[in-house]
Parts: sequence; structure tokens; C-alpha cells
Amino acid sequence: MQLPIYFPLGLGALLFGIGLWGALTRTNAVRILMFIELMLNGVNLNLMTFTRYYYPENATGPILTLFVMTVAAAEASIGLAIILQIVRNRGTVEVDKVDLLKG
Amino acid sequence: MTAQYLSFGALALVTLWSAYKVVTARLITHAALWMALSFTSVSGIFLMLQQEFIAALQVLIYAGAITTMIIFAIMLSSIREIRVEPQEKRSIGQRIRASGLLAVVVGLVFAAFMTYVYYVSEIPKEAVPDAGLLTVRQVGATLFTRFTVPFEVASILLLLAMIGAIILTAKETE
Repeated sequence: MQLPIYFPLGLGALLFGIGLWGALTRTNAVRILMFIELMLNGVNLNLMTFTRYYYPENATGPILTLFVMTVAAAEASIGLAIILQIVRNRGTVEVDKVDLLKG
Repeated sequence: MTAQYLSFGALALVTLWSAYKVVTARLITHAALWMALSFTSVSGIFLMLQQEFIAALQVLIYAGAITTMIIFAIMLSSIREIRVEPQEKRSIGQRIRASGLLAVVVGLVFAAFMTYVYYVSEIPKEAVPDAGLLTVRQVGATLFTRFTVPFEVASILLLLAMIGAIILTAKETE
């Protein structure tokens, strides 16, 4: 593998940074869910990079990534269900309008 | 060697541009489709890293399942992004908060910090040679021998998520 390891690692960090930027600026709950998926994608990219460069014969890296994907899928389904309930009950999807507990 | 740099550069460009468009696209359905493009190109980078199992999973789970689920949720709930521009004059502090400058700074600082950490950290120079790459068969064998219990726990987690989603979204009926 001639590609320096910094390239995919930097790409993962940039992907995480873009996801963080979006999750902090947007107020639409569905979009925030999308940015969480983007950030998890960056994390997966880092995991696979280290696996490929230093432990290519070890199956632990792909399996850990598989579990991260499982948790991401579960999180997305539960998050979307909660967002649908919020839309049904409160009529909004903006997270800063859902402030019933605000003092 | 040059081909490797070129293909990585193209994939990275597509990934970052589509991730940027997820943030800036005005319609939320467009943002979901850009997200699918980003996932697909990350899957291409997994292929470059010779992890075809994870690349296939990435296309199946992220670009397939999660994107479809998000688009279905958008369509089912008539979630619209209506951006109402406030009319009254706002102070500078409020305008800075609304523009999200702080979030841009946080994201950039995080990415720069991680890149710096990677740059200065003592990553061993001698990477493992290309011989003896992992096959899907080996991944499956390890998954069902050494990681049996985590695998079952992941199955229970998925089952709970499914039941929870059904219970949360089911309409109340007498």
C-alpha cells in the first residue's frame, strides 16, 4: 500500500468535522440524524484504515466496524420513530422548537 | 502508484463535496440523496483499502437501508424545511449564533486537530506488507467463533430497535 496512511485518516477526520459542523448548525432533527451517520462513517473509515495498514490479517477490525454499523442502524430507526412521534404530537421537526422542559 | 493517488483523490473529493452538500442543500430530500452519494464513495475508499466485505456492507446498510428509511420518514411525515426569515433587528451576538459560525469553527478545529495529531504521532513507518489479506470467509469464521456473544447481543439490539420503532410509531387504537 503506497498511499500514506495520513490520507485516509485525514479524510475520516474531515468527514467527522463536516458532520460535527452540520449537527451543530442545523435544527432539523432528520438532518441531525444524517450528520450523526456521516460522523459514524468517518469513524468507520479510520477503523478500516488502521486495520488495513497494521493488522491486515486480523478480523477484529471489520467485525468492530460491523458492530458500529449495527448500532448505527438501530439508532437511526429509533431516532426516526421518535422524530415521527414529535412531528405527530407537536407539529414541528425543529429541535429548538421542542422546548417543553425549558424553564 | 499514481493511479492510487488519483483514484483516492477523486473518491475523497466526491466524499467531501457530497458531505458538504448534505449540510448546505436546501431541500431535505436532496440532502438525503447527497448523503447516499457520500456513503457510496466512502464504500469505494473501503474497496481501495481492500476491505470488500465492509464495502459491500456499507452499500447495503448505509446507502441502501438507512437512506431509504430516512427518505421514507421524510415522505411519510410531510417534514418540510420552511425557513422563516425573522423580520426584527437582531443583535450581533444573535446573528453570530444564527449564522452557525461557531459550529464551523468547531468542526474545522476538530478536523485540523485530528490531522495534526496524526501528523505528529509516532505511527510506525513500516506498514505490514500486502501479503495475506483477509477474506470474507475468515471474517465470518471469526465472527461465529470468537465473537459469538457480541454477535448475539447485536441481534438482540436490532430486535429491540425494531420492536421499539413499531411501538413508538403505532397509532393508539382502542
